[in-house]
Amino acid sequence: MTEINLTYNKKELPTRYTRLGVLLLAIGLVFGIVAFITDQNRAVFNYLIAYSFMISIGLGSLFLIALEYIVGAVWSVPIRRIVEFFAATIPFLAILVIPLLFNMHELFHWSHEEAVAGDEILEGKAPYLNVPFFIIRVFVLIGIWSLFYFFFIRNSKKQDTTKDQNLTKLNIKLSAVFIPVFAISITITAIDWLMSIEPHWFSTIFGVYFFSGTVIASLAAVTLATVLLKENGYLHPSITNDHLYSLGGLMFAFINFWAYIAFSQFMLIWYADLPEESFWFLQKWNGNWAVFSILLIIIHFVVPYAALLAHPAKKNPKRLKFIAVWLLFAHLFDLFWLVMPESNQLSEGYSFSWIDLVFPIAIVGVLMLIFKMKAKKENLLPIGDPKLKRGLEFHL
Amino acid sequence: MSTDYSIEAPSIHGRLSLAEIEELVAQPLDTKPDKKFFIAITLSTGALLIGAFCLTITFLYGIGMWGNNQPVGWGFGITNFVFWVGIGHAGTLISAILFLLRQRWRTGIARFSEAMTIFAVMCAGIFPVIHTGRPWLAGYLLPYPNQHGLWINFTSPIIWDVFAVSVYLSVSLIFWYTGLIPDFAILRDRTTSKIKKTIYSIFSLGWRHSNRHWQHYEKAYVILAGFATPLVLSVHTIVSFDFAVSILPGWHTTIFPPYFVAGAIFSGFAMVVTVLVIVRKIFDLQNIITMDHLEKMNKVILATGMMVGYAYATEFFIAWYSGVQFEQFVFINRVFGPYAWAYWIMVSCNVIIPQLFWVKKIRRSIPIMMVIVILVNVGMWFERFVIVVTSLHRDFLPSSWGMFIPTVYDLGILLGSFGLFFTLVILFTKTLPVVSISEVKAIAEGSQPTHHGGNHHG
Amino acid sequence: MAEKKIFGITALFKDPDSIISAAKKTSLSGYTKWDVNTPYPIHGMDNAMNIKPSKLGFVTLICGLSGTTIALLLMWWTMSVDYPMVIGGKPFFSLPAFIPVTFELTVILATASTVAIMFAFFFGLPENSHPLHDTDYMKKVSRDHYGVVIEADDPKFNETVVKDFLKSLNPVSIDVIYYPEKETYPIFEPKFLGVLAATAIIVSLGTYLTLNSLMYIEPFNWMMNQDKIIPQSKSEYFADERGMRMPVEGTVARGFIPYPYLGELIPTEVLLNPSISTKAILELGERKFLTYCSPCHGDFGDGDSRLRGQFQNPPTLHSDRARNFSDGMIYHIMTNGQNIMPSYSSQVSREERWAIVNYIRVLQRAKNANEHDVEFAKNINIE
Repeated sequence: MTEINLTYNKKELPTRYTRLGVLLLAIGLVFGIVAFITDQNRAVFNYLIAYSFMISIGLGSLFLIALEYIVGAVWSVPIRRIVEFFAATIPFLAILVIPLLFNMHELFHWSHEEAVAGDEILEGKAPYLNVPFFIIRVFVLIGIWSLFYFFFIRNSKKQDTTKDQNLTKLNIKLSAVFIPVFAISITITAIDWLMSIEPHWFSTIFGVYFFSGTVIASLAAVTLATVLLKENGYLHPSITNDHLYSLGGLMFAFINFWAYIAFSQFMLIWYADLPEESFWFLQKWNGNWAVFSILLIIIHFVVPYAALLAHPAKKNPKRLKFIAVWLLFAHLFDLFWLVMPESNQLSEGYSFSWIDLVFPIAIVGVLMLIFKMKAKKENLLPIGDPKLKRGLEFHL
Repeated sequence: MSTDYSIEAPSIHGRLSLAEIEELVAQPLDTKPDKKFFIAITLSTGALLIGAFCLTITFLYGIGMWGNNQPVGWGFGITNFVFWVGIGHAGTLISAILFLLRQRWRTGIARFSEAMTIFAVMCAGIFPVIHTGRPWLAGYLLPYPNQHGLWINFTSPIIWDVFAVSVYLSVSLIFWYTGLIPDFAILRDRTTSKIKKTIYSIFSLGWRHSNRHWQHYEKAYVILAGFATPLVLSVHTIVSFDFAVSILPGWHTTIFPPYFVAGAIFSGFAMVVTVLVIVRKIFDLQNIITMDHLEKMNKVILATGMMVGYAYATEFFIAWYSGVQFEQFVFINRVFGPYAWAYWIMVSCNVIIPQLFWVKKIRRSIPIMMVIVILVNVGMWFERFVIVVTSLHRDFLPSSWGMFIPTVYDLGILLGSFGLFFTLVILFTKTLPVVSISEVKAIAEGSQPTHHGGNHHG
Repeated sequence: MAEKKIFGITALFKDPDSIISAAKKTSLSGYTKWDVNTPYPIHGMDNAMNIKPSKLGFVTLICGLSGTTIALLLMWWTMSVDYPMVIGGKPFFSLPAFIPVTFELTVILATASTVAIMFAFFFGLPENSHPLHDTDYMKKVSRDHYGVVIEADDPKFNETVVKDFLKSLNPVSIDVIYYPEKETYPIFEPKFLGVLAATAIIVSLGTYLTLNSLMYIEPFNWMMNQDKIIPQSKSEYFADERGMRMPVEGTVARGFIPYPYLGELIPTEVLLNPSISTKAILELGERKFLTYCSPCHGDFGDGDSRLRGQFQNPPTLHSDRARNFSDGMIYHIMTNGQNIMPSYSSQVSREERWAIVNYIRVLQRAKNANEHDVEFAKNINIE
């Protein structure tokens, strides 16, 4: 057995990534502005989907980092940098959220004082659902996440040069604090952005539901990046299909978890059939939204489940690449299904508009640029991590 | 003190050789039970007999002997059922989920917790049956049409329970037995007693440690673990459906399935720690069930305890947020109503006290750990009590409000279920290896080829 | 005694590295009937032995899918075909509510049959008479040794060659394993036959007692047997020994007004229709007519029975005779019965009977409309 070569030569990602990213972002930006001018309502709802997707990628990745530290996983150490690059989305959320805050009246029924005034239930919620408190929550949460992100990354980066084991210990402690904070903050985020667009509806599991989708999205993004980088030779040669198997296995687990949570939520509301809850699902069964609801099960569960069920499938790079793209789409579709039927414009059923395509293009562009920017500045391998050798040696 | 993250901590301490592991684990089976054993079994069978007596009285005079009433129709019976099913979740979690997550520290404790799972599910299974008041009609729960050609109602959560609990028991038994087969073969080959040898031969099915068998066996183990993982989630999910598909405020809430599962793991781990601490001391297994294992279990207890706390908080917040008057009342009534004491026992034992596990010294201190896990068990029992009783005792109409006061028979049957559980556990420690010999051998130092995985396929 | 038959030759090793290299060499040397015995699974052994990946997953897949299918078919058939019932306003085939049972049945079938099939067909277990059992070799690999066995069934098997080959692997020891002597099974020994007979007797007695005595014990029957006289039962207390008593003469049951014209043919003049033909009354009449009258009289009173000759068809209600009946007469016929038509007084209440009378009048007028009626119908605005 030859010793694993721990020397690492930094390879630059080609500039065509930047060009492609800029191009996609430019398309998104231009058409996005046009969309806001032509059909503000639809643009805002689409923007909300895109923004939630960015939260999923960024916050989900931060969660994955914390998870690695807290459970002491070794296999994920060699690809942790990829996760960290995706987590870099978090500070940008503070900028990305601004267009939404300027259009809150389009999004949130409860932000209209005259609508709340006549509605007993909304009046009851007013201490929580009011514009100033909402904005405070948004920025406080982004601030907290950014702070955690900053500390995690600083320690991780510092380790590249110092190789100090105490930094790992520090990050483990940070993770232990982060995970409860994460649980609470993601619940608040889910309630604020996705549940309160239908302010009369409520479901206790909703935070967990959003969490399950978040983890799937970030895992899929990480898997996609890992497979692509590995194919093009940017990763350490000791990162094998066994590492991919762990990613595939986690994706498979979280697909099931999502299905479990989604089913629990649907089943309980469907079974009890209380009007104050079931109207939300009926809205998603209105007109051709029914097709979307059925498609959600197929796209988000049936297809990826079947594709990842077999043992060899979980470590087949081609299969994983496909399924990662698929799952990123599935999460977008999930968000679309959550948000769009609540728009007054589309409550009777879906009708296509070019606006729906604009923002996903912009997301891809933004993510590519952030990734490229981070990859330029930092090593693709956490060369100072004490668990790195074990991580590279990892075998099933 | 500092941990070196660059090397993997050994799962077994003391550099035991394979033969030493075997001797250590098999020793209780080869020696005659001592005085302590008889004292323990007397105590537990005593509790069991008290339970049996109370149950006999219940059968003779009917369910009226219990504290159940209108409106609290689900008293101790369902509380105990949910409690025991919850205890039964740790075993499969340790043996299946931790197996899939490749957590090697599970090997030392897997067998024991699987056994506890089976015994706990047996205890749990008793309660719904006796709670119906006419247990001899339980046959109607099977999918078999009665004399009017009427089938069971497959849309009823109570029937889901029947399927879930019986499947869970069967799969846990299969899992447990599959794991035991190589150990039976080991025992067969080391015993000198002819009777024991015959028994072990029968149960080992003639296992030969053949590698052509090991190959399928390991695959089967992965498959079993792959099925047991969603199964263990499904069982407590379905138990939570018993409550949550209703329209009763305090029961009907969508977070119930994951919340119940987290609670089940929480209480199950607490029970496993409670028993393991004693077992490792009595049978001298400190090197196989190490302090590191206990610490990891305590971390899981801390994590699941916080999940439960998260669920309490979400329920509370959404009850307020929902604007539904009934929901709001139920939760205020829980905190300040006549059963507020039960609620505060639940919150302090489940959420507040486990926070002590943040401190490493406490995680690694046997006496403090013991106190905390027992309190967790108490807290989790009260959680189910709070869910069952406080939601029911205030009916929609104030004219139908009532109180639930358990009778001595309720308490006797609860005690009896503990008696049954511990009797089975004590008997198990003397009849079967409490630790999987072959699995522990497989993770002992020097037990695997030095270059394993070097030429792995794929 | 014939010479003992060789089962195979074994070699024991002391550490995992040497068993891996031994397995690799044995595999390369072209033997097919050979095996490795280790106290626990060893990483990388499948590769060293060059055995194909386990196909057990397919068994699980097939069994699991059959579990899913069986569960869904069972619930679909029982709940929506054999005995459909509306439960909680849900459809007969309500998939979300069937998911839990489907899942559980899938799991139990997949796991139980995988394990059973693996042991029975993949391994051929239980098999306690295998030649390797009870050998020193087996005892050692059970404990802390690792062994290779090359079986005599192998086409390339040659005792000396195999021994030399195994020696070249540097084992701890080499053993030759023989088949154990054939055991004889004394089936016809009197002792065995006696046990058999005793078992048969005990089982039949047990079955007899269970089926004839035990099954008829009523457990917990104190609520079934109470000190009261139930309908149709005998009572020693009364002279006529009947438990059921006649009511006191002239007793009238609550809510029951006696009908004084029972059995009379034409009591009509005193019975006057108390109801008015409002829309609600007519709709009630229509509903009740369609329920109770139309099976024989036809939906429009034409006497076109739906009963396909099980009974004699009644005459039409549109004959002159029937149209000239007074309301009271029609009411009387419903209450009293006529010819083969029985009394409907127990099924249809008084108010409903009068409503039917009104409805029959509507039918009669509609079926025998004159020009006047047609004009009238044209003028009123029918929605």
